[in-house]
Amino acid sequence: MRRTQGPHTHMIQTQARHLQDPTDLLSEVLAQNAGGFVELRYHKKKTRAVAVEKGRVDTAQVTEHSGVGVRVLEDGTWGFASTDRLEASAIERAIQSARAAARASARARTERSDPLPQVALARGRFDSDGFDELSQKPIDATIELVLRIEAATRAQSAAIQSASCSYREVFEEKGIVTSDGAKAWTRLVRPDFSVTAIASKAGEIQRGYEASGATGGWECLFRSGAPEQLSERAARVAVDLLSAPYPDGGRMKVLLSPSLVGILTHEAVGHTVEADFVAAGSVAAGKLGTRVASEHVTLCDSGVSEYQLGAGGSLQVDDEGVLAGRTTIIRDGILTSYLHDRESAAHFGVHPTGNARAFEFDNEPLIRMRNTYIAPGTSTLEEMIAAIDDGYMLEGATNGQADSNGEFMFGTKAAYRIKNGKRGALNRGVNISGTAFDVLRSVDRVGRDFMWDMGSGHCGKGQLARVDAGGPWISCEVLLGGRHA
Amino acid sequence: MKTTTQDHKTHIPFDTAREEARVLERCDALVDAALKAGADEAEAYGTRAETIAVRFEKGDLKLTQVDDGATTGLRVFREARLGFAATNQGDPAALEATARDAVLLSKSAPPHTANVLPATRALAPHAPLWHASIDALGVDEVVDLGASILSRVRARDPRISIDNASCEWTRVSHAVRTSNGTRASESDALLSLGVFGMAIDGEDVGGFHYGGDALRTADAIEPALSAMLEEFTSVALGNLNAGRAESYKGPVLFAPDAVLELFVAPLVSAASAIAVQRGRSALAQKLQQRIAFEGFDLTDDPTDRELAGAGAFDREGQPAVRFPIVAHGVLQSFLYNGYAAAVEGRTSTGHARGGPRSVPGLGPHALVLAPGRGGSRADLERTLGRGLFVQRFSGSVDPASGDFSGVAKSARWIENGVVVRSLKETLLSGNAFDLLQRILALSSASERCSGSARAPYALVDGVSVTAG
Repeated sequence: MRRTQGPHTHMIQTQARHLQDPTDLLSEVLAQNAGGFVELRYHKKKTRAVAVEKGRVDTAQVTEHSGVGVRVLEDGTWGFASTDRLEASAIERAIQSARAAARASARARTERSDPLPQVALARGRFDSDGFDELSQKPIDATIELVLRIEAATRAQSAAIQSASCSYREVFEEKGIVTSDGAKAWTRLVRPDFSVTAIASKAGEIQRGYEASGATGGWECLFRSGAPEQLSERAARVAVDLLSAPYPDGGRMKVLLSPSLVGILTHEAVGHTVEADFVAAGSVAAGKLGTRVASEHVTLCDSGVSEYQLGAGGSLQVDDEGVLAGRTTIIRDGILTSYLHDRESAAHFGVHPTGNARAFEFDNEPLIRMRNTYIAPGTSTLEEMIAAIDDGYMLEGATNGQADSNGEFMFGTKAAYRIKNGKRGALNRGVNISGTAFDVLRSVDRVGRDFMWDMGSGHCGKGQLARVDAGGPWISCEVLLGGRHA
Repeated sequence: MKTTTQDHKTHIPFDTAREEARVLERCDALVDAALKAGADEAEAYGTRAETIAVRFEKGDLKLTQVDDGATTGLRVFREARLGFAATNQGDPAALEATARDAVLLSKSAPPHTANVLPATRALAPHAPLWHASIDALGVDEVVDLGASILSRVRARDPRISIDNASCEWTRVSHAVRTSNGTRASESDALLSLGVFGMAIDGEDVGGFHYGGDALRTADAIEPALSAMLEEFTSVALGNLNAGRAESYKGPVLFAPDAVLELFVAPLVSAASAIAVQRGRSALAQKLQQRIAFEGFDLTDDPTDRELAGAGAFDREGQPAVRFPIVAHGVLQSFLYNGYAAAVEGRTSTGHARGGPRSVPGLGPHALVLAPGRGGSRADLERTLGRGLFVQRFSGSVDPASGDFSGVAKSARWIENGVVVRSLKETLLSGNAFDLLQRILALSSASERCSGSARAPYALVDGVSVTAG
């Protein structure tokens, strides 16, 4: 990513209704409506999407959702309102509505929020790579690519009954102005691409799925494989799974792939260290400075794409106008920080970490992760396989959830048996479970090759947020939900 | 145009005819602009909603939000090619640009013979969804209702920590207009309640539990709130002191929410005509065949006004009617939207779903799984005798294969027909389509699930349970 001062460029080659810097107008409205803390956030989201299944274009669309979200802190209580019009009169009415909402709810609030502490807030223009590149990419070329990859996926094997392919790019422009000094204009683009193959044999159906997501341009999106490679992998997995057995269930030694490390860091650890959740009593509450993982584990959340370009949750400025840097959550096994917005940072007496994010203009900012990862170690994958007598090598995350008690669940796409230090046959993917800090304490090896591998995913916490996560391969112990005869 | 709502809205009456006319006005503008820009056919679907939302975090009120807005989506066909665009902007220039975008996109997509609008059909008489008693709520009432969630939970047991809770009032009008004559509109008002949290007793942090409901009349609020909070608090407290299960393969008792997620959702996904047509349905050759135990009766019922998905028409303006999917364990029909119906040259079953920001999808409105003859939940626990009771499922269900694997949440271990402890780290796996045939019993009463569906408890044999 880069910070630029140059003129902005137009958006997409469908009807370009591009934006001038909105922060001057927001600042003027703010000056006319001074009093207490006021945050104005213009957010324009324009999405282009193409989806094809079995040769038919199911979606070819462009959508726009834009407006101004207004958040005020009045009488120690938050109020929020929004308008879809970037006009002074409409924003002023929204400010009045937000103030009225805060007043109406103040009587039901037990504790008043303290005034937000002064922090250095972002000012200027913050552009991310890829915005102009993808803006200028013709949509018909994208439709042709998606059609071609879907057809190629169906052609990979006679066992493939159906395939689908989709591409989406979300252009986001934001202007953030606060009464205590933020004045930032940000632009970024988040593309994602996915391929699904459905294989069938003797009445059984199996699915292969590959996806990539990024913050940035084409090179970032396909940094781990060209579209043709994603197609080939999805088809191969679907076909291979038709003849694969179910793995055994039980507590096992496993190797987790970067995508599973990503979902482990995000679901099992990341949510428990979000400061709002900590305050509600998560398992991470009261554990700062204590050992929660083995000494091999250093775990971070960053607005920057560390180690590899284009992580899907990257941002330079959060939705409170705080610069979004890197936060080390666990250093060498010791819990060192939670993730904060401005209010929670004040409550805990620390600096905000740039984790306040809102999905759209009519959503309030919440504490959310960005790019969460375990830092690379020194082992090669071959060394890690060789060190396991009996276990599984688990690849590919499908979904995941975590509980207040630290218990997590992830779906995996494929499991390879490891016996006597050698990788064996493919088994069907299973769900794995464990308790986050117990699993992190069991980590005995961390790989050296890093990959972001969750960039096409969204995190749900009332609102959606585009996030990424990843890391190297790690060796640890989890519970596998296999089948019993 | 979207405008913010003033705090005096409490007593602003909702003129449903006027609001629906405003939505149709935008739809008309988009359809007309699309035809002018070169579309052969056009369909606009729009919504206009006002919302008061009160959210609570960490046991205190976090924020109150008031707003309203409108969004309209336009689908066009030009030479049997599809294009779609949507906007939340309402000025004429934005609407015209949106129409041009949709037509431009249609020029790049290949043609398909099923890219046609469904023919206009008359809607059945339908009782209005909108009810004045819910519409009369304002900011103060919504704040008070939300605050009562916290105070009542605290009063029940201080060990319960509410991570978040919400009370959201919405009134919405939506409408469809097509170039071939469909013109339909409807209004609704809903109060949605939600609570999410866990019990904490010293170092013991119980697993999450949540409750939710959606209501259309004021007199339904208190009974629904009481039932939701009783269920939430008792399950959250029951999640403390979690122990281990035992690994086995055999019968498991599922609560209604888990029944819907593990068995009904993959069944309905596989009953999509599009899934069948594209070779990703395990039910493809099963029409009029037995796919579940004989007491299994599943209906999509958009006439059930106590369920959030009720309504007179679908996303394409086709009539939404009571529709049997499975009767006595036999698959009755697949679900069709306009596209899937056109592929087979038949009529849509009224199952186009989705909002204005995407092309119409395909899905059910309001699922109702009929109760069986298995007695109460306690009766089913006694029938189970020894084994696992699952109240929620956290995992993945592959809608194509039916394979599922995941964690049993708010789970309990049953010995001698009664619950003896809560459980942690207990994994389930199996195949939904196989297990539909292995249902042993359904409870004699159904429960409303989050205000969106109805289902009974189910005792199902052949489930793999792996204990941590």
